[in-house]
Amino acid sequence: MNSSSAGPSSKPRAGSSQPSDSSFKRKRGVFQKDLQHMMYGFGDDANPLPETVALLEDIVVEYVTDLVHKAQETASKRGKLLTEDFLFLMRKDLPKLNRCTELLSMNEELKQARKAFDVDEEKLATME
Amino acid sequence: MKQSKDPFEVAFEESSPPDSPVEEIVGGQIEDEDDANVNVHPTSTPSAAPSSGTTVPPTAKSKDEDEEEEEENMDVELGKLPTSGDPHKMAKMQAILSQFTEEQMSRYESFRRSGFQKANMKKLLVSITGSQKISAPMTIVASGIAKMFVGELVETARMVMTERKETGPIRPCHIREAYRRLKLEGKVPRRSVSRLFR
Repeated sequence: MNSSSAGPSSKPRAGSSQPSDSSFKRKRGVFQKDLQHMMYGFGDDANPLPETVALLEDIVVEYVTDLVHKAQETASKRGKLLTEDFLFLMRKDLPKLNRCTELLSMNEELKQARKAFDVDEEKLATME
Repeated sequence: MKQSKDPFEVAFEESSPPDSPVEEIVGGQIEDEDDANVNVHPTSTPSAAPSSGTTVPPTAKSKDEDEEEEEENMDVELGKLPTSGDPHKMAKMQAILSQFTEEQMSRYESFRRSGFQKANMKKLLVSITGSQKISAPMTIVASGIAKMFVGELVETARMVMTERKETGPIRPCHIREAYRRLKLEGKVPRRSVSRLFR
């Protein structure tokens, strides 16, 4: 059984035995560009310090990791991890909860709109 | 979870040519947020917790409402689809937005348009859970939560800076202090299990 490929990178492949929270193979600066814009939007300087961005990235990754682990704890009874598990975790933090429900409903609306648009396109195509 | 009037579809049918919504949908994943006009009706989404029933401290609620109003009016501002939000709130937002200086406007634009790349967030979630089954809504929710968390950190760091009477770009020590304060407030999830083995 040759294990393959020299695939790109250091990213873990699906199903491979990776300890779920070590992520030492994570590249640095994955969120760097996004974080810079975000920090400016939230009140930092137009050019935030690189060490601040790096620290924020570490904090965010740790935050998401802990969040997912907690969600998995509630999801373990059900078996599958669902979006509702995240919403349950946010039950105490109302601004975040409202934002999540808003994002989810916007996503639904966009999906409906896209579907409607595809249907219209088909109609046009068949008409001509 | 049909809302009583679907503002996006109404606008879609009435005035906008077929091209523009598509461009906006296909073009930028970040832009998608600005396209759809959402009246947040907590009761209409099945997955939403009944947030309408809980009591909210007034300051937190008004801040949250402002964020939502800004979304609706940002769309009007950018000349996209018309909103059917509360006209008073819309008018207020319009009044505020029209008086922004250039610097404020660019900062606001960064605030609205910035976000985590869905692909990167999905990779991170996959690596954490070890499974491939991360649905798109899950990525969206995780990105939204993470963005708000960054916002809390940065704003708290700025508060720390004003307390210490410092200026300039935010330094790591401020972020660490902000993180410590958020932990005390309980806004950072902590794994309680590991404490058993200390």
